[in-house]
Amino acid sequence: MIKKLIDESMAKSPWVFHINAGSCNGCDIELVAVLTPRYDAERLGFKLAGTPRHADIVVVSGPVTAQSKDRVLRTIAQVPDPKVIVTLGSCPCSGNVFKGSYSVVGPLDKYVPVDVSIAGCAPKPEAIIDGLALAAQIIKEKREKQ
Amino acid sequence: MKLLMNLVYILIFPGLLFSSVFGLWLAGIDRKILARMQKRVGPPVMQPTYDFFKLMGKETIIPDNAARSTFLLAPYIGLASLIVTVLFIPIAGIQAFGGVADIVVILYLLTIPSLAIMFGGSASGSPFAGVGVSRTMVAIMSYELPLILIMLAVGRLAGRGFDMGITFSLEKIAQYQAANGPNLFCWSMIPAAVAMLFVIPCEVGAQPFDVGEAETEICEGPLVEYSGTPLAIFKLSHAIKMFVMTLLFTALFLGGISTGMLWLDVVIVLGICAVVTLVCMTLAHAITARLKVEQMFRLFWTVIAGLALLSLILVWIGI
Amino acid sequence: MIQHFPILSIMVLFLGAFLVVLVGRSRIARTAVVSAAVLTSFALMVALIKPVMIDGQIISYWMGNWAPVSGYAIGIGIEVDALSLFFGLLVSLAVMLSGFYSFKYITQDDSPDLFFTLYLMLAGGVMGIVLSGDLFNIFVMLEVMTFAAVALTAFRSWNPNAREAAFKYLVVGSLGSTFVLLGTALVYGQCHTLNLAQISGLLSVNGINPTMTFAFALLFTGFGVKAFMTPFHPIAADAHAAAPSSVSVLISGVFTKTGVYGIIRVSYFLFKSMGMSSMQTGLVFIGCVSMFVCVTMALNQHDFKRLLAFHSISQIGYILTSLGLCSAIGIAGGLYHAINHTLFKGLLFLTAGAVLYATGTTKLEKLGGLARRMPQTAALFMVGAFSISGIPPFNGFVSKWMIYQAAYEKAAETGSIGYAFVTVIAVVTSVLTLASFVKVGQSVFFGELPVELENVKETPLSMRIPMWIMAALCLLTGVLPGLMQQYIINPAVRATLDYKGYIDAMMGEGYAAAHLADTVPLAEAKYTFAGAWDPAFWLVLFVIVLLGVTVAMMIGKSGRGAATAIADDKHDTFFGGEKNTFSQVGGGDLFWGFKYNFRRYLNVMGNAHSGVVNDYVTWGVIDLALIIVYCFIFM
Repeated sequence: MIKKLIDESMAKSPWVFHINAGSCNGCDIELVAVLTPRYDAERLGFKLAGTPRHADIVVVSGPVTAQSKDRVLRTIAQVPDPKVIVTLGSCPCSGNVFKGSYSVVGPLDKYVPVDVSIAGCAPKPEAIIDGLALAAQIIKEKREKQ
Repeated sequence: MKLLMNLVYILIFPGLLFSSVFGLWLAGIDRKILARMQKRVGPPVMQPTYDFFKLMGKETIIPDNAARSTFLLAPYIGLASLIVTVLFIPIAGIQAFGGVADIVVILYLLTIPSLAIMFGGSASGSPFAGVGVSRTMVAIMSYELPLILIMLAVGRLAGRGFDMGITFSLEKIAQYQAANGPNLFCWSMIPAAVAMLFVIPCEVGAQPFDVGEAETEICEGPLVEYSGTPLAIFKLSHAIKMFVMTLLFTALFLGGISTGMLWLDVVIVLGICAVVTLVCMTLAHAITARLKVEQMFRLFWTVIAGLALLSLILVWIGI
Repeated sequence: MIQHFPILSIMVLFLGAFLVVLVGRSRIARTAVVSAAVLTSFALMVALIKPVMIDGQIISYWMGNWAPVSGYAIGIGIEVDALSLFFGLLVSLAVMLSGFYSFKYITQDDSPDLFFTLYLMLAGGVMGIVLSGDLFNIFVMLEVMTFAAVALTAFRSWNPNAREAAFKYLVVGSLGSTFVLLGTALVYGQCHTLNLAQISGLLSVNGINPTMTFAFALLFTGFGVKAFMTPFHPIAADAHAAAPSSVSVLISGVFTKTGVYGIIRVSYFLFKSMGMSSMQTGLVFIGCVSMFVCVTMALNQHDFKRLLAFHSISQIGYILTSLGLCSAIGIAGGLYHAINHTLFKGLLFLTAGAVLYATGTTKLEKLGGLARRMPQTAALFMVGAFSISGIPPFNGFVSKWMIYQAAYEKAAETGSIGYAFVTVIAVVTSVLTLASFVKVGQSVFFGELPVELENVKETPLSMRIPMWIMAALCLLTGVLPGLMQQYIINPAVRATLDYKGYIDAMMGEGYAAAHLADTVPLAEAKYTFAGAWDPAFWLVLFVIVLLGVTVAMMIGKSGRGAATAIADDKHDTFFGGEKNTFSQVGGGDLFWGFKYNFRRYLNVMGNAHSGVVNDYVTWGVIDLALIIVYCFIFM
């Protein structure tokens, strides 16, 4: 019974850790705006965590630049299981307008398995909430599979 | 039989189960009302409970740099000492374990959970934790002075009813209040009550005094490397601490209320706890920013200690 | 038969010292002699518990059988009442445990035979003071003790700090001994006898004339120097830091207690002046100043042993405050804190010694993360740190509780709010003590391990065993205060307040009644400790709760065994994504908020502790002058 309680809670309390992998900050501002009173993602239980050890959902924004690649991967490795990786914006999906640049080392899913992609430049807040809610569901499925 | 009664006290009421449920509820309404104050919908009141169970389902990562046994044991020691503290505070006339001088015991037992966070953070071997430990300790140094002044003042007031002249026992304070009305209605106790309302968020680690666990500035401070079940226990301790501190406020200032029916008394006490939480923690969180560590120390040792000292002097000269 | 035990207990230590000189070269012989000496001394003290503490006998013994002639005591008397035995037990326990620790510890220095000679001389001197019944004998033993301690401070003579510390200690210590000698000479001139019991009886007859007031001030200050009360405390910091750790245990745990013992004998027995409220205020004031000044100085220190030394004096401040309250519970709290202090401070110094033995340094900036390499030492340190901070269920909590209760009851009794502030200062000092030890814990045992210290090993077993014994005693005396009080503390409290019995035991029945006029009455020897609380019970409760909650630990997944794992990113410390580099938050950087707010006060204090011995002597003499003036005005 405790196990069922834990599984149910997985979807209801997703904590988010945000990593900026060279982003222009547009998506970052939109992410923080999602937590403001107008859109209020906190009613679904979302909370920004201060350290990757506390996180369930890792949100990566920005095309993965060469300088930030090691750090992003190290930080993602430090997140405890079960975890969900969400790419925010078109940059980590495909490189967006920076594709082919000397300092951009490609979409994120070359290095880690990405579970949810939220496309847009910058994505609408409603789209971000939709993506995060989907991520919360995926965490629950991952937990049930364990 | 006595052993069974004691086990019920420890594990169910007012011990582990009751404190956890009620503490998590208090944390929940704190977040909900805060959200409403900020014109948001806010998380459901059950949210801290969901947080607790979710954390139990996560993996516990122990960093290589950490001192393992201290790292893993610290949350449980903090929780155990909080439960022991609850057993010393009378709720509506029920006090699980009384003695003659329990204020001093409570004062020291209340430092153990903060100590557990500090040693757990130290043991994790992270420099963020080192900074967090330093700030948490400065917070403890800040609130201890006003707290001891408040307790001495209340002890002196209640001691008038007994031949010693002073008392340290919460049971005797409750008896005095049952005979003479709640302490808050004495003029000399009002500065002390205001001081206590400031001490409570500092002790619990709520804004604006949460510099020890500053979320984004030092990456959660002492809790930076914690994950999984130990983190769940720390969050639970935080919630129970809210309950314990507000219960202490009730016992010191608003005790002695008895309507004759036990369950109604308990409900009244819980209601007072909720109101105190809203006033000193939620309201402060909603309208202020976080204080820097030296500002907090200065505030407590000048203004708040001054209020408590005023109360002590007033009680001493007999008002 | 038992009347020979006290003198044997002293003599066996001196005999051991002389034997070590003879056979010291051989390690086995030396170990055997030292072990035999300290064990015998301790065993004799324990054997005296039943007759003296439980049955209430007072053992009196004239050396060489020189009994009093026509009512005057001409021989050297040894008188052991419950108070003396209390201190005797404390001393012999510390000597024994520290001695066993020294066997392995001293292998890092040379000339171990000289070390043990001096060690046993120091031990014998201290035992001589607490068991003696003769004022000049106390002075002689005081000198033996001081010189042995000075020599031991300078033991690591290759270290210039040690030589300097020993010099300062010599100068200021001699100052104290001089005051005691002057006081003794004046008392002898007045009473024509040196026997403590007889002086006690005669002084009430002759009354306290100005010469005797002067003598009292001298004796009080002299013993105060030995107890390192403010402003004589700076040399203690240097001496503790420079001396080998097992000697620091003795200096802080035993040496300072002789100063306290001297103050008790002088105030409560010889001059019976403690009943006067002016004396009480004076001693409480000195105690409070000691407490607060030393704990704030300790927060600034960068060396582990120097920090421990400042805390030592702060705790002596607690004991002096509690004794100054002159109520039964105050004396009980003070004595209880005395034995607790010996235990936990001894444990902390031994831990510091273990760290020094393993790493070669005690500087806080150079250490870090030792808990992973020395887990048992870290656990022992935490026991000591929790005890000194007064965290239940360890012993510091019980004695501090008694002191708070004593101070606040005194406040209620006299109606003066000043004693309420004493309680507040005591609590705040306790919190600041806790802060210091969190700082040490973070700097030394937790945090990140520097590369140079990768290979340190756990403390050797023969050093760990005395530490474990001390830790176990810390826990036991905290969990079983009822037993401690019944058998050990209460008899000592009764003895402190019963000077008539002391006089009669030495000089024959009826002497006290014949000679004593009405003096200022001391307190009643009864108290109700607020301990309807049964600590053993709630320790069990604590354990039950801990167990019940640890079951939940099984739900989450546990981590991997760090000892055999390969370093990977997942188990590295979170550093904002960077690789983990060494960035230990050291002791100097902690508690900035506190230091910033107190920066002017800490600056003044730091400059005042200048390290120049001339300054310290000046303060000492000024302090003596102030005490003399105070005594003349109020006595």
